[in-house]
Amino acid sequence: MRLRALALMAMLTAACATTALAAPDPDKVLHSSFNAPETGYDPAKTSDIYSHGVMENIFEPLLTYDYVARPAKLIPLVAKSMPEVSADGLTYTIHLQKGIYFADDPVFKGKKRELTAADQVYALKRIADPATGSPSNYLVLGHFVGVDELAEKAKNSKFDYDAPCEGIKALDRYTLQLKLKQLYPALPYVLAMPHTSPVAREVMEAYGQNSLAHPVGTGPYILKEWKPGVKTTLVYNPNFRHVVFDFHPTPGDKAGEQVAREMNGKTMPQIGKIEVSIFTEEQPMWLAFKSGQLDELYSIPQPLLRGVLNMDPKNPRRAALKAEYRKAGLKISRVLDPEMTYWDFNMQDPVLGGFSKEKIALRRAIAMSFDTDQTIRDIRRNNAVRMEYTIPEGVVGHNPNFRYQYEYNRPLANALLDQFGYKIGPDGYRTTPDGKPISIDFLGDASAVGRQWNEYWQEALDSIHIRVTFRPVTFNDLLKAMRSCTYGMVGAAWIADYPDGENFVMLNYSKNIGAENTACYNSPRYDKLYLESQKLQDSPERNHLYDEMNKVMMEETPWLPGETRFRNRMMQPRVLGDEVHPIFQVSWRFMDIQK
Amino acid sequence: MFAYIVRRVLQMIPTLFGVMLLVFVLFNVFGGDPSLVLAGKHLTAESLANIRAQLGLDKSQFAQFMIFVKQVLTLDFGTSWSTQQPVSDIIGSRIGPSLLLTGSMLVVDLLIAIPLAATVAYFRRGLTDRIVTICCTIAMSVSALVYIIAGQYWLAYKWGLFPVSGWGNSAFHNLWYYVPLPMLMGLMVSLGPDIRFYRSFFVEELSNDYVRTARAKGLSERVVMLKHVLRNALIPVVTTVMMSLPYLLIGALVLETFFSIPGMGNAVVLAVNNSDFPIIKAITVYIALATMVFNLLADLIYKLIDPRVQLK
Amino acid sequence: MTSTVQAAPAMNSTPEVHRGFWALGWRRLKRDKIAMVSLMVVGAFLAIAIAGWFNIIGDGWRKEVAVPYAPPSWLAQSADETLPPAEEEAGARSDAPIVTMTEAEDPIGKELAIARQNMGKYASVETPLRESLPFGGDLRGRDVIVKTIKGTSTSVFVGIFGALFTLLLGTVLGAISGYFGGKVDDFLNWFYSVFTSVPDMLLLLSFAAVAGRGIKTIIIVMALTSWTGTYRLVRAEYLKLKNREFVQAASAIGASDTRRIFVHILPNISHLLLVQFSLLTVALIKYEAILSFLGFGVGVTQVSLGSMLAEAPAELVQGVWWQMVAVTIAMSLLVTAFSLLVDGLRDAFDPKANK
Repeated sequence: MRLRALALMAMLTAACATTALAAPDPDKVLHSSFNAPETGYDPAKTSDIYSHGVMENIFEPLLTYDYVARPAKLIPLVAKSMPEVSADGLTYTIHLQKGIYFADDPVFKGKKRELTAADQVYALKRIADPATGSPSNYLVLGHFVGVDELAEKAKNSKFDYDAPCEGIKALDRYTLQLKLKQLYPALPYVLAMPHTSPVAREVMEAYGQNSLAHPVGTGPYILKEWKPGVKTTLVYNPNFRHVVFDFHPTPGDKAGEQVAREMNGKTMPQIGKIEVSIFTEEQPMWLAFKSGQLDELYSIPQPLLRGVLNMDPKNPRRAALKAEYRKAGLKISRVLDPEMTYWDFNMQDPVLGGFSKEKIALRRAIAMSFDTDQTIRDIRRNNAVRMEYTIPEGVVGHNPNFRYQYEYNRPLANALLDQFGYKIGPDGYRTTPDGKPISIDFLGDASAVGRQWNEYWQEALDSIHIRVTFRPVTFNDLLKAMRSCTYGMVGAAWIADYPDGENFVMLNYSKNIGAENTACYNSPRYDKLYLESQKLQDSPERNHLYDEMNKVMMEETPWLPGETRFRNRMMQPRVLGDEVHPIFQVSWRFMDIQK
Repeated sequence: MFAYIVRRVLQMIPTLFGVMLLVFVLFNVFGGDPSLVLAGKHLTAESLANIRAQLGLDKSQFAQFMIFVKQVLTLDFGTSWSTQQPVSDIIGSRIGPSLLLTGSMLVVDLLIAIPLAATVAYFRRGLTDRIVTICCTIAMSVSALVYIIAGQYWLAYKWGLFPVSGWGNSAFHNLWYYVPLPMLMGLMVSLGPDIRFYRSFFVEELSNDYVRTARAKGLSERVVMLKHVLRNALIPVVTTVMMSLPYLLIGALVLETFFSIPGMGNAVVLAVNNSDFPIIKAITVYIALATMVFNLLADLIYKLIDPRVQLK
Repeated sequence: MTSTVQAAPAMNSTPEVHRGFWALGWRRLKRDKIAMVSLMVVGAFLAIAIAGWFNIIGDGWRKEVAVPYAPPSWLAQSADETLPPAEEEAGARSDAPIVTMTEAEDPIGKELAIARQNMGKYASVETPLRESLPFGGDLRGRDVIVKTIKGTSTSVFVGIFGALFTLLLGTVLGAISGYFGGKVDDFLNWFYSVFTSVPDMLLLLSFAAVAGRGIKTIIIVMALTSWTGTYRLVRAEYLKLKNREFVQAASAIGASDTRRIFVHILPNISHLLLVQFSLLTVALIKYEAILSFLGFGVGVTQVSLGSMLAEAPAELVQGVWWQMVAVTIAMSLLVTAFSLLVDGLRDAFDPKANK
């Protein structure tokens, strides 16, 4: 018995020694899961987080984030160093690393294909090309000198990729220069998004319309098999360069130290094959994980949280696995997503919208009738914190000392409505001060969770005698109503594209009505502050403007703030080096798994 | 006979046209706007217009319908609007799992239901008959959702008799490893009504005059049952089964969702949610064609087995 | 049942003889013990349903009387694990002063201050929430028993009215088609074959997406996807009956087409319609559950067995099984009794199967 154990140990150490030097073990397979179907794997064409998660492993942008640093910190990836920025902040020069090669593909006809600055130029222009139909085109259009003109011309003909363009150009084989029309403080973050990753022009042209199924990047993994909406299989990229993990977590960061202990000294990647399955139903996903079929859960399904985690009802930040799971060795990693949810009042609605005192009072009364703490407790299962600033935690510009919230006080809400002459009619519901009936057109989705929210809202609005009709619609009708300002109230959410406050404060800029500004909020006061903030980099001055903008919104009440949720990744004991990152969707390339 | 087939095939044309019209009206005219879903988080009026032009949604309804007609004539439905994969590839990869699940379910269902139905019909009005009928009725009264939710929880997870969910690449492995549990759940739902349904055929057959004549001639009950009744009662059974075959293609939606089976049911729901018209149109047209062809086949088989039937 | 009364005359009878046929059927039904028991159960459910419609019972289902997921009282509860006491909060929030909108900045600050003095009028009394309920509670702490009663009521309503509507659609179209024949028949037949060739699921998903949500939508969707069976049955009967003597006689005395369709022929197939109606009711009660699961169920202020069942998957993984069990019991009892009653009715009224 003893001898056998010894022999086994010797074998194990031997195995470790070899894997640390050579290619990853193809028998190390990671089984992971997503909660919703992905779109596909063309960096320019997709914007959902699940496609994003897979592409993080296939493509490499110029910059990336340190895996263990908190808050998230930018570091160079394909670039040799961080961009050199000119004194006026308008010219960025980036030097690329030499000797980075694309994964093999039949298009390269057996030759090794090195990554050059021209590939980055092509990738950025491709996002601007109308024929690509890129959902990320807002990242490029309007920012770089000369690109919008090229895109404009391409509306009637093909995009001319070879035409010289002052804003995006390669100075030599390994040097990229970007020239801006005005300040773009978010640019470094944009260059860290998988969407802007360099791609090979010959690959994109060869696969044409079917580029979603043929990702060819320089990252540690390649796409082996893709069954849309069902399963994605990745295998390690044998062309991937030699990278050794060397993590330096902030002292005292226990999770980071754990990762460093488990991974430092190993080469990237360690796992030979990754299989991702889509589970749209919560029960099968959870049961598959519990029975060991899955190594990692993207996120613990919401209804299960109370059964899996011990939470402090007073402080949602404190949570630990229940003893049952702790004893089984299961692990959890928790992070606050850079997101927020909020309730939009349609500011152009004849009853709810407008800036007169009585309209503000109506919206304020509705806001005061809704118990956000209760829904955080019951629907979110304590897995969220209140949103108290229009820029969430973990995003540059967040102010932890601001309180953007309305007191939950139904008697006061009722008294306020009385004060402004919203009288209760004989049917028990209030009318407008001039005697017209009120009925709020509340938009929602048709899911079981959507129904739960509606139940809470029904109760809240009943308590202040406001009539409401819920209109459950399909997702595209929901978007349509929100873009065209034809609704009364709706629940909305926004997750950071990049962790800069600009990505959030633009949600209320009046020029974005019809796009991201779904509250249809048209406030001259807000717009003025917003345009000033656009001229500034991250600084105390910009933060001050952000505070003022929050105050204006609080006063004019286009939103009722909601919450910011935690993402809880759960893993089997055999999974090593897995820590949830606020910006990365998955950690596969940094992980290892014991066989 | 040949003239009959030709006439029936010709009759399919107006029906198919009607199906196309119905689907077109439901999705193109009343349905949601797919460009909104496809444009992503930061959509602008310009990017929406761009997408609509790429999808051909800016053309007139009539022009769009003509494109649909052309697609049906060539049976080439282009590419999916959301994943941009060829529609034929998607349907091709989805149809296998659905057929494997529903097909094997049908076979097992028939193997159990027909003998059982014949037996209880033979003992009709007896205790066995009553018990089986009531059991079937009770089994039918529980919602399919309850079977699936509870079955997956207890049989697969708590007792570990089956894998919770999943699907592999080899059909054989799928059949003996992943299919049994969803199949069992499906059978719980389908066996009850099927046994009762087939029983009614047998009972009806047993009440025919020729059975009385055969008995009067002194043939044993067993011979009567096996030689005459079974053969004749199988005619409606065969035709019913034939007519249900097209529905196998579309799979079992709820089973597929809960057991992560990459079948057609899943694809349809996904397509409807994303307003992925090319896929919806292709599936509808294929199913409609299959329904019509199998109906014709059922009639022909009917005629072959029972020459008394007049084909109109 | 060997020497059953021969009931064949029903088929070619005049309305007078017909009444005798119903009495005969009822007498036969009374002899069937299972059917009579089922009839009583169905009757009880109908009583609950009607009481529910008029809000006599189950009206308070939306009241939150207990804590979320309150367990059944008879179930032993284990104490919930708690976290160890908090260590010193690791500086999530600094000591900097809180920034927020002040009353002076608030455009309605003055009015709010006045309202604050008048809010006493709306002060509410908090009732303490119970820790457990006779058969447990749901997420919002509502009593599962009351909810089930109200849900059953809605489901029976949906089933019965859905079936009536379906029957109406199928019968009218089938009668017109079978009676008039010719071009009308061709057109309606084309319509019929189009509907049967499109998979139900697609029809359902698209109709429901177009029509929004609520009881009305459910009933319409049900009728639009289920009328084809009734249509075929009724059409065949009319084809057969329209040439019978009593119809010819009616036409000889100058009865209009409408009169012949509805007064002379319809009563002769009423027993078939009764059976069809019961079958449809059972099917639609089950159908509603699937519709709710797919997200096309009843509205927020309503509850049905289907909408309760749609909550079950999320509950069961948390070990909350009582709502699912309550719904399953109610639904099984109702559907089983209804189905057995249909069997009895068929035996009693359809002499052909009565051998």
